[in-house]
Amino acid sequence: MFVGCLRFSVAVLERDVMWHELRDLREDIDYGTPPREGAPVTLTVDGVEVTVPAGSSVMLAAALINRPVPKLCATDMLEAFGSCRVCLVEIEGRKGYPASCTTPVEAGMVVCTESESLQDLRRGVLELYLSDFPADEIEGGWSEFHETLERVGVTTHPYGQGATHFALPVDKSNPYFLFDPAKCIVCSRCVRACEDIQGTFALTISGRGFDSKVTAGQDQSFFESDCVSCGACVQSCPTQALIEKSLFNGEYLHAYTT
Amino acid sequence: MMSNANNATDKSTTVLDMGRILVMAEQIGAFFAPYPPLRAAEGVRNHLRTYWDPRMREALLAHIDTGVNGLATHVVAGAQLLREPVSVQKKGYYGPPQA
Amino acid sequence: MPIPRKPDNSVITTCSYCGVGCGFKAETLDGKVVRMIPWKEGKANHGHSCVKGRFAFDYYNHPDRVLTPMIRSSIDLPWQKVSWEEAFAYAASEMRRIQAKYGQKSIGAVSSSRCTNEEIFLVQKLARAVFGNNNIDNCARICHSPTQFGLSATVGAGAASQHFDSILQADVIMVVGANPTGGHPVFGSLMKRRIREGARLIVIDPRQTDIVDSPHCHADIHLAIRPGTNVLVLNSISHVIVRERLYDEDFVRARCEWPEFEAWMALVSDERYAPEIAGPQAGVDPETIRQAARLYANGPRSAIYYGLGVTEHSQGSTGVMCLGNLALSCGMLGREGVGVNPLRGQANVQGGSCLGSWPHVFSGYRFVTDSDVRSSFEAEWNVTLDAEPGLRLPNMFDAALTNQFKGMYIMGEDPVQSDPNQNHTIAAMKQMECVILQDLVLNETSRYAHVFLPGSSSMEKDGTFTGAERRVSRVRKVVEPLAGLQDWEVVVRLMNAMGYPAQYAHAGEVLDEIARLTPAYSGLSFALLDRVGSAQWPVDQNAPEGTEVLHTKTFPRANGLGTFMLTGYVPTAERVTEQFPLLLTTGRILSQYNVGAQTRRTANSQWHQQDVLEISADDAVIRGIRDGDWVNINSRFGATRLSAKISARVNPGVVYTTFHHPESHVNALTSDRSDWATNCPEYKVTAVDVLRLTTENAMPSEAELEVTV
Repeated sequence: MFVGCLRFSVAVLERDVMWHELRDLREDIDYGTPPREGAPVTLTVDGVEVTVPAGSSVMLAAALINRPVPKLCATDMLEAFGSCRVCLVEIEGRKGYPASCTTPVEAGMVVCTESESLQDLRRGVLELYLSDFPADEIEGGWSEFHETLERVGVTTHPYGQGATHFALPVDKSNPYFLFDPAKCIVCSRCVRACEDIQGTFALTISGRGFDSKVTAGQDQSFFESDCVSCGACVQSCPTQALIEKSLFNGEYLHAYTT
Repeated sequence: MMSNANNATDKSTTVLDMGRILVMAEQIGAFFAPYPPLRAAEGVRNHLRTYWDPRMREALLAHIDTGVNGLATHVVAGAQLLREPVSVQKKGYYGPPQA
Repeated sequence: MPIPRKPDNSVITTCSYCGVGCGFKAETLDGKVVRMIPWKEGKANHGHSCVKGRFAFDYYNHPDRVLTPMIRSSIDLPWQKVSWEEAFAYAASEMRRIQAKYGQKSIGAVSSSRCTNEEIFLVQKLARAVFGNNNIDNCARICHSPTQFGLSATVGAGAASQHFDSILQADVIMVVGANPTGGHPVFGSLMKRRIREGARLIVIDPRQTDIVDSPHCHADIHLAIRPGTNVLVLNSISHVIVRERLYDEDFVRARCEWPEFEAWMALVSDERYAPEIAGPQAGVDPETIRQAARLYANGPRSAIYYGLGVTEHSQGSTGVMCLGNLALSCGMLGREGVGVNPLRGQANVQGGSCLGSWPHVFSGYRFVTDSDVRSSFEAEWNVTLDAEPGLRLPNMFDAALTNQFKGMYIMGEDPVQSDPNQNHTIAAMKQMECVILQDLVLNETSRYAHVFLPGSSSMEKDGTFTGAERRVSRVRKVVEPLAGLQDWEVVVRLMNAMGYPAQYAHAGEVLDEIARLTPAYSGLSFALLDRVGSAQWPVDQNAPEGTEVLHTKTFPRANGLGTFMLTGYVPTAERVTEQFPLLLTTGRILSQYNVGAQTRRTANSQWHQQDVLEISADDAVIRGIRDGDWVNINSRFGATRLSAKISARVNPGVVYTTFHHPESHVNALTSDRSDWATNCPEYKVTAVDVLRLTTENAMPSEAELEVTV
């Protein structure tokens, strides 16, 4: 039923490829990876046969038949990145659990998006993210991260009090949005939006491992940096670590800081 | 039908400062200068007919009638073409010169 | 507390800032707008946004909003708050009194490109059908009127030939007198994306704009011309194309008037346009002109995007014709990835042009002098219409000074701040007996107004905007109008008060009337836009959902062929002298919008608290000016003060500023010179001198800056 949303190649000019990733976007569905143009490829996802343009991801094929794979670092306005390890699937004849966002479709592929082992893997990854997310801000939240937690059924984590990013200062310098590192999962969606959508290159991920963090400009505040406040980063953030100030009454404070 | 056609009280002296009108006429003339004489004059005529309030056109013609005007030949010729009837084919079209 | 409040409702609408026309989802909570989310299905923005549309929406609810109509019999008296009925009755009786005393043509109307198509159409109807004259103009007069003139003359349609996405197929992008990342940011991002993919970039602009040099975006060629030499440089590029036979002869023979092409070749191949002669006059390297010509002509797909840096000159229309000639000669029209495209400054500049707010044409660019067209409007409106063109906006002011123009209805405009030669405008305003101003807030013009009618922001009304790519999109009411009436209703009530019985149940009925009377809009309706989202005109029987690329088979001229205009270079009368040795040019920045009526009332002011004067280090040093000094700027027409910023973005001999703040009085400096064809003011070239203020380097008081007449 959703297949009609995408166009197939009718021996079009090679250059015609590039704009389908913009023009085929839909408000009510996140394909996870950008729509493509290409020859039709038929595969099976969770027992349902689906035909998508060559170059599409397995994630997109699953989204088309309304079997969206849980995800955090992927969205259809950005190229696949493959960092969050939540969108894993099983593919017949392949070892392990490939990330559906970075795996291109192939003819005859048989994909499974839900299984007990996948559920365990996703739960494990999400519990890790949760262990470094302010506990008071799980219930009642409505970000993509919260929706993903709910879908996978994760509400708590088994880990003790380890190192967290809770104490990092909130960047409130921009008049319209703030950045709260406590909620950041370093998925790079904001960095990629700044580069690929806006073209300003104001954000980077600095540091490595646990110390990696989103940085504006030359380790400046958002306001002092080259940021042009277009909002693409805020729009792409799955956890509301970047969020409009207009959605808050009064000062922004965490429960644990009061 | 309600009547909204021009009424007689619109008769005026000079609607804009004459100096302003002359500057505008000179500028229009400068654009059409590269064209052959007849087309340049027609270009000026068409422009004035299409874009100028009739009172501005009358003021320009009255000024030209005084004999001393300092305007380019094709501007004077174009303004004077305004007094000739417009051919049927060009009805409604007074834009830039057309082939 | 750190869990954000969740909006409880949303409406899809169109941004009211620049001419890109981004689709937004306006989210509300308890009846107030709390968030603007870029709409992924918006065909102009594909889910992207800029700081203005995305965040600077709070102005709609600003305490400065005037929500009660006000009148006064003299501009020296304080305002008196009245009911809507009293305001309409007073305005109507004053306008009729003036017409009885000074003649039917002694009043007129001006609409704004911030208004919807429906409002603009109704304002022209008010002037033509109710005032009974053609004294109707709109603010496109002072920005893109040369676009309509110059492109109509060459390719037959005064509008962008492409859709925005078309740039994703361009191999060469030529930007002339435009600053897309600042003025049209969402399209600027699309352009940068294409440049990152490898498209070559030519920039013709006196100033080093961001696209010339920013991360991952560099111009292959930047012609930093002296302000006022566009036509010279474009003719010189054409000279190279003709002399080196880089033109597309097959295209010209098949699609254009060949004799006119030959006449044009004869003109531009003249020695005076040789790069070696023209280059030094324009302040650019001749070899760079040659390279630009070769790059553009070789394409294979070259697209031109231009802005007010082309139009706001005494040869603005000629400059636009140069671009039309250039694209025709190289066959860069009628397919994807090519074209000539104006970047429009305000949300509805294209609509303002289309909907007949001009003294010489009805909606759809059809002449008032054409009796067949006139009859169709007379039949629909049940009145006899004036067969002669009316006064243009600058000429209305001129006529006010000869006491022949006494009353003006101004919808959503601030001519005292935005129009050139401010002292002249103010003197003219003071001569008028009834100025009716409809706006959100009191502005510079309201000082000279007699009736103030509260306007409604685009959050508060229904209608459509036509973006720079000819895209007609719905504006939808998100919140109830704060003052009780939508702007289009105000125009209708004023018509009624003046004795004309217009009735519309909703704005969609106005669009239906537009469709009946305007061929290119004939297929448009609210129902169609609700179904397809947006549509690019022409929307008609042949293209029921709109037209993305124009001129694919023929040009909309009588014989279907494109033509070449003879674009001789005529230097502006505004020249530098010993007394005024610098050329001032003007522009805008990302965070502010135009006269700033909206953006100055938002947190966007944190990025741009004042207009500054950019000056080269060379010019600053010899005047003893340091960064941040207050300087006096004098022109032949007036004076003002600004803070100086030493900048490598401008060449020696050129200074640059923005005009977002009224206290800057930048238009006290600008000249009374204007485009030869359309009277579009020459904002982009003013000879000035700049002197360091020897006294305190403090911001001067408002009283000190009071403009004297």
